[in-house]
Amino acid sequence: MDKLATQLREDAERINATVSDELDHRIVASLRAVTPVAERKPAPAARPPLFWWASTITGVAAALAVIAVVNRQVDEQPVATPAPMAAVQPPIELNMETAMLTAPLQEELEALQSDLKKAEEKVRRDIGL
Amino acid sequence: MSSELQLINAAKAGSVDAFTDLVCSYRDRLLRFLLTRCSSLADAEDVLQDTLINAYRYLDSYDPRWRFSTWLYRIAIRNAGKLRGPDLVDVDSVNDLHDEENDPLLQCMADSERENLWVVARRLLNDDVFAAMWLRYAEDMSVNDISKALDRSVSWTKVNLMRGRRALDEELNGAAAGSEAYG
Repeated sequence: MDKLATQLREDAERINATVSDELDHRIVASLRAVTPVAERKPAPAARPPLFWWASTITGVAAALAVIAVVNRQVDEQPVATPAPMAAVQPPIELNMETAMLTAPLQEELEALQSDLKKAEEKVRRDIGL
Repeated sequence: MSSELQLINAAKAGSVDAFTDLVCSYRDRLLRFLLTRCSSLADAEDVLQDTLINAYRYLDSYDPRWRFSTWLYRIAIRNAGKLRGPDLVDVDSVNDLHDEENDPLLQCMADSERENLWVVARRLLNDDVFAAMWLRYAEDMSVNDISKALDRSVSWTKVNLMRGRRALDEELNGAAAGSEAYG
């Protein structure tokens, strides 16, 4: 401890202060008249019995509602599956389509057959048949 | 320390005797400290009484992580501040509090060849710095406990203890150079 600290300590002890008997009695008397204050701790809120019944019924109702919704969704599942394309889209008129698509080929075939026939006649004429 | 804890628990259970035993060793020290902060012995005694009553009343809120003395000093400092009131904070009023005729500190001081350093400290330092110095050097409290008792930061406490020491050193060295009054 340095010199200043020592001096401060010594000088503090040179201050003569003692609690008198009168003050002591006064303090003790005051303390006996005081009621200690209990520290306020957050107490859990008291619930009335009705609260427990209400929450039980609400819980059960909610569980039933969930079960019902889930079951209904299971029943409706086939309906929810996508319908086959044939049911959704109108049938394609294949005949008309075919006619339209094959018409140029038919004409081409006839033209080829005609050309083949002309070429055959020309060959026959050339060989003198 | 364990016996102090036992007394605290007994006092919490409502035993006034346990509480008086508990504070027995602190009463005189608290009164001595309060004499430095109050304008009369009667005021200091009133503050001491209020401090002990408050401590007993709110003992349930005492946190055992603190030293009990730290908690007591904190209550005492707060009560002494209440007694003074905000209207007495200005410098003139504070100086009036400690006129030499009525100053309780001077009345309770043993005669000495030199001026008591705490009288010098009170003249030089403001209330909080004085209290920090007192708790450090008269009560031997740690810096952490002082900061708790004064409700200040640890850094504030360290800085102001250093400033208080420097102010006292300068005063003492100046006076020593002049009259060689300080040993």
